Amino acid sequence: MKHLPQILTIFLFLAAPSQANQDGVIVRQAPVYAKPSTAVQQVGQIKAGSRVSVFDRRGGWQEIFSEKQGITGWVRSYQVRQGNFAPQVKTETSSDSRGFLSGLASLSRRASGFFKSSSGSTSSGTATIGVRGLSEDEIKSAVADFEEFERMKQFASSQKRMNVFTSQGGLSATRVPYISESK
Amino acid sequence: MKSLIQILLVLSLGFAPAFTIPALAFDLDDLNKELKKAKKKADKELRKIDKARGKLTTAEEIEIGANLISGLLGAAPLVGDPVLQHYVNDVGYWIARQSKRNDLPWQFGVIQSDGINAFAAPGGYIVITMGLFSLLENEAQLAGVLAHEISHVVRKHHLKALHKTMKRDFWSDLPVQAANSEKDKKKLRKLINSGVQLYATGLDRKYEYDADLRAVVLAARAGYDPYALLDVLTTIDSINPDSEELAVLMNTHPPTNERLDKLADKMDGRMDKYASGQTNPRRFRQLAGGR
Repeated sequence: MKHLPQILTIFLFLAAPSQANQDGVIVRQAPVYAKPSTAVQQVGQIKAGSRVSVFDRRGGWQEIFSEKQGITGWVRSYQVRQGNFAPQVKTETSSDSRGFLSGLASLSRRASGFFKSSSGSTSSGTATIGVRGLSEDEIKSAVADFEEFERMKQFASSQKRMNVFTSQGGLSATRVPYISESK
Repeated sequence: MKSLIQILLVLSLGFAPAFTIPALAFDLDDLNKELKKAKKKADKELRKIDKARGKLTTAEEIEIGANLISGLLGAAPLVGDPVLQHYVNDVGYWIARQSKRNDLPWQFGVIQSDGINAFAAPGGYIVITMGLFSLLENEAQLAGVLAHEISHVVRKHHLKALHKTMKRDFWSDLPVQAANSEKDKKKLRKLINSGVQLYATGLDRKYEYDADLRAVVLAARAGYDPYALLDVLTTIDSINPDSEELAVLMNTHPPTNERLDKLADKMDGRMDKYASGQTNPRRFRQLAGGR
């Protein structure tokens, strides 16, 4: 039992490097920043369609390198589409950049054709993880479980819990107008 | 002619009180009753019209939602982790408070399914599958997903969809709350069945785009980095779309890359100042990573 945390730690370290050096393609022309923030100076622009190596992910940002343009820096995550296109670049990273859960989830799924293959199209591999619950048929034929519904109620949050929740999470409400449908 | 009217008026004013006071009192009583009756009837008709438009009372909305979510829980029960369930409820409740509908009994749950999906039901019931949850990296991403589902509820997308599928007269005399007679119960069951079908066939795609657009605003209002939802969509987009886990999501939502493009386009230049919002990866790992 004592060894379990150690084993888990090793497992995580194994998972991290395999995630760290992902590759992608820039979806649209994007500004590249020195740090993951729009407040810092731009180091350049990267063209749509550029193949890049992804070193790190932080919040809504990814640190990329384009060999062709000779540019390194941070771009918004949504400007990068994942896939293994770029030439391999050896990098060191100590952080589990994609997070604890996705690291574990992706490790077991990597072999199963779960992620898109290197060509960017679909893989021929078949999923080896059985999908439990909620296929289309299962949704349609399910028998309502009202006991489970009652159980769900007991976890409901309340205004009372919000004080601790927001202060611990550094959250405060801000006024933000809705974005209109037509731009 | 004019003077005749005047004479009649004077006569009626002069004589009427003497003769009609008791009768008038009686009439007033009657009239009141009649008025009340008429008002009641008019209110009922008004409610019928509201329902014909698909406008249910909040109580009815909650009743339908409770039945729909119980159906989903029948297919996939809750994950047995109270810490995780409380955490998801806290994040969801905080987001929902940023919407105009804090009158609803908002409840959230993580369910035992490898499928990658999340579901909302009218009245404020929302579940996310373990398959989707395990792809998330931080609290802001969870907030983004929940905000998308919350937006479906706030905008009554499911009720609007149900309204389209049912005939007008179905709604006009639908007593959802006090469904006592066999006929009423049958109607309620029919409505719920249609709702369940919606989970398999999906909402109108325009509702999905609408929910994405509203979700990032709700997340920003709650103090989170609104771009986190784009990260979730990017992760989903990296998954083999033919995988079993994505089957239902792909059948019920617009292509992920189109959602990404539309959302990124709309957010462009508008949400920059909120991008420094919280992501809380540490709390997320502490409270949700214990499995």
